[in-house]
Amino acid sequence: MLSYDAYRRPRTLTEALDAVAALPPGARVIAGGTDILPWAREGRAGDVHVPVLVDVSGVAEFRGWTRAGGRVRLGAATVFQDFLTDAGLRRLFPAMPFCAIWFADDQIREQATLAGNLVNASPAADGTPPMLLHGAEVEMARRVDGAVVHRTVRLADFVTGPGRTALRPGELVTAVIADALPGYGGAFEKVGQRRSLVISRICVAAAVRVSADGRRFDDVRLAIGGVGPVPERLGEAEARLAGKPVTAATIAAAASGTAARVASRSKVEYRRAVVEGFVAAAIADALADAGHPLAVGTTGEKADA
Amino acid sequence: MLDDRITLTVNGRRVTRPVGANYRLLDFLREELMLTGSKEGCGAGECGTCSVFVDGRLVKSCLMPTLKAEGASIQTVEGLAPRGELTPVQRAFHRTGASQCGYCIPGMVMAATAALRANPEAGIEEIKERLGGNICRCTGYTKIFEAVEIARDVIAGRLPAAALEAEETAGSFIGASVRRIDAPAKVSGALRYAGDTVMPGMLHMAVLRSPHAHARILGIDTAAAAALPGVECVVTAADVPGKDGFGVFVHDQPVMARDRVRYVGEAVAAVAADSVETARHAAALIAVGYAPLPGVFDPAEAMRPGAPVLHDYAPDNLVKHIPIRKGDVAAGFAAADLVIEETFATQQVEHAYLEPEAGLAWVDHDGVVTVLSPSQNITHHRHMLADILALPVNKVRFIMSPVGGGFGGKEDMIYQGMLALAAIRTGRPVRLVFTREESVTSTAKRHPARISYRMGLTREGRITAVSFEMLSDGGAYGMSTEGVMRKAAILSLGPYAIPNLQIDTRGVYTNNTPSGAFRTFGAMQSQFATESMMDIAAGRLGLDPFEIRRRNMMRAGDTTHTGQRLDSCSIGTVLAVAEEFSRWEQGPPAVRGAGRGDTGGPDTRARCTLGARFRSGPAADRQEVA
Repeated sequence: MLSYDAYRRPRTLTEALDAVAALPPGARVIAGGTDILPWAREGRAGDVHVPVLVDVSGVAEFRGWTRAGGRVRLGAATVFQDFLTDAGLRRLFPAMPFCAIWFADDQIREQATLAGNLVNASPAADGTPPMLLHGAEVEMARRVDGAVVHRTVRLADFVTGPGRTALRPGELVTAVIADALPGYGGAFEKVGQRRSLVISRICVAAAVRVSADGRRFDDVRLAIGGVGPVPERLGEAEARLAGKPVTAATIAAAASGTAARVASRSKVEYRRAVVEGFVAAAIADALADAGHPLAVGTTGEKADA
Repeated sequence: MLDDRITLTVNGRRVTRPVGANYRLLDFLREELMLTGSKEGCGAGECGTCSVFVDGRLVKSCLMPTLKAEGASIQTVEGLAPRGELTPVQRAFHRTGASQCGYCIPGMVMAATAALRANPEAGIEEIKERLGGNICRCTGYTKIFEAVEIARDVIAGRLPAAALEAEETAGSFIGASVRRIDAPAKVSGALRYAGDTVMPGMLHMAVLRSPHAHARILGIDTAAAAALPGVECVVTAADVPGKDGFGVFVHDQPVMARDRVRYVGEAVAAVAADSVETARHAAALIAVGYAPLPGVFDPAEAMRPGAPVLHDYAPDNLVKHIPIRKGDVAAGFAAADLVIEETFATQQVEHAYLEPEAGLAWVDHDGVVTVLSPSQNITHHRHMLADILALPVNKVRFIMSPVGGGFGGKEDMIYQGMLALAAIRTGRPVRLVFTREESVTSTAKRHPARISYRMGLTREGRITAVSFEMLSDGGAYGMSTEGVMRKAAILSLGPYAIPNLQIDTRGVYTNNTPSGAFRTFGAMQSQFATESMMDIAAGRLGLDPFEIRRRNMMRAGDTTHTGQRLDSCSIGTVLAVAEEFSRWEQGPPAVRGAGRGDTGGPDTRARCTLGARFRSGPAADRQEVA
């Protein structure tokens, strides 16, 4: 059971920064709140009393998204459901609809924010691998001598370990800034204890662009989560595919060796077995999503969850 | 302490109310506004019994702090239709019988409503996906999905409104789809389960549970808990005036642990206070001194000499042994052409009914101790509680509230005694609602079983003899173990005529969570082994699995191995129907392989894919012209 002495709902960025500038020990910042309430229960944190909850989901500056050239600025209040319901976001973030659909059910997606998922920094966070595909940066803001100071760090540097981020005291994530990837096919592979509403054991995200005739890989972006302390891009496999013909053989060659990325200390053999299959399946699914499916019979069945 | 008020619109009405410091939107709706159609099944966003619309978006109200909804417009199941009326979705649920225990149904109705609002033309795959955040345990999803499709088609005008009405029964109900009388109350959220019930002056209970699997209780210090403002009483085993023991067959379990705890999660003390939060806080202040004892966690080890003993009356830890003997087993095996020996093991299973245990107790004006709870055995509970309270039976009353799923898991009187004691002590109504975690950790499970099986058969597949030995982990208390062992033994060998047999089922005490009643009452475990043996035998003998069963099945006029003469026997019909509907390819098990014809056909499920809502659209709609 979660209880608190005060619940703050700032409406503007400056109100929010004031609210978090001098928080007492134990105070928590929430957005969707879908993680903290299940956390404060038996078997996890138990009954938790916090002095202050700061709910930043109503901050006006955190709403909506804008595109500037090749980059998209996603306000911190962007929820997972937006990647399913907003046609513009679906176009620009090809792997995110698949990520969102596996992430949770409709009802939780309506509440849960992408920024909150990144800030929680779970090694198995579903939102992190697809955002790595987009070369995402995390924009933050804090008060310094009364002024609002922004800074931006690469997502790869923002998540520093399980549950740890580069976020400083008094600082809030204001946006996620990411490459727009129109024209790419997207995919998201996930396996957990059941098919959705569950934490990933392993997840793989892919965004693939092929040449106009569909014969060559133009740009392949792959990222993996759940196999080590932080999600990461699979640079080697990506490089092996760039410019190569679209065949099951090139995909298999690129996927082989990715099992070496498994650095988790539990269920290692299982994770290794799944990873290579997931990488190959993600590429195949992304090709299909791009409108250039591999010919039938050239790839194995996708691993079942 | 939070001292906030909230203003919001609920079902079209503007309300301003104080908010409790621990209130989620779900608590606010249920406790402050008495809108109990939204239920709490898990408290962790998994089950969807609490689904409500917030500004038109369906969310899980157990995951939303109340103050997040400041200024919002909320719609609950009570607000879907004017009072006394039902929406097409609700009427369709009524029509198809999609309301068994009913506990998940308000949430299902909300999710179905949300699905059709999002896409009035949603196909079945999309409907399933949009209902994916809601869990049902007893209605089954088929009728629910059928209801959503009917509602969709009626709303779209493809089906007449009459499709929502009762089916014509033409003089006979047999073979007709008959609407359930209690369905309107379930689809509208009007039905009140025990945890939805309130009484004036009602207190809330929290239970302190054992962290040890086996320990002596050195002392229980309740002073700090009792002194907490808002606490009305703390009860322990010392408060039990009568003969402290309950159980379905043997009354071996005290209302709360007496001198000793025997499993993790056993109730040790209970607090009644003016709020759930205060009661939980007080329970955490109770200091219990424990001296850990060696525990035993394996039923085979529990039967060995020198093993820790759980109950003085059973020095060998044996709860019940059921032996059955028939014919000459040695001769039967001697006559066999093939003898198969296998061992089988099954695991604990949680019932996971969506309604966690809940109850409300009070003492009425005539001094009658009254307990309202979803008890599956109220008459037995009444008699046991009278003994426990040292009251005449006419001074104890049990009221059975609607059972939000039971499956046998609500046969045991594990909390009603605590509620009665607290109601007597305080003179006020006391309510206890288990958390999901509490329900999982402290209540009975399906018996895990180990079965050693020996079966002798002729070349033609006729069973000549069986030796069947089942060892079940009964956990810390007897509960239904005796009956489960009996049923497991009686039904162990399935519907097969076997001339020579010896059956032994044993239930044994361990320091594990108690095992109790669960659908099939032991027959699932034993028949899993028997049916597996039939398949193994078919493979070894080169027989079709249906055929080997036909060769051994009992027929009308046969006598079961416990001496019951069967006037009718339906196994032949069952086999014929199963064979036809499964599109069975005849032959021994080994002949089926890549060519099997029973996959991918009607009534079979396709491989899991998510994203029906966007997979169906052309990929091109996502391409952007640069």
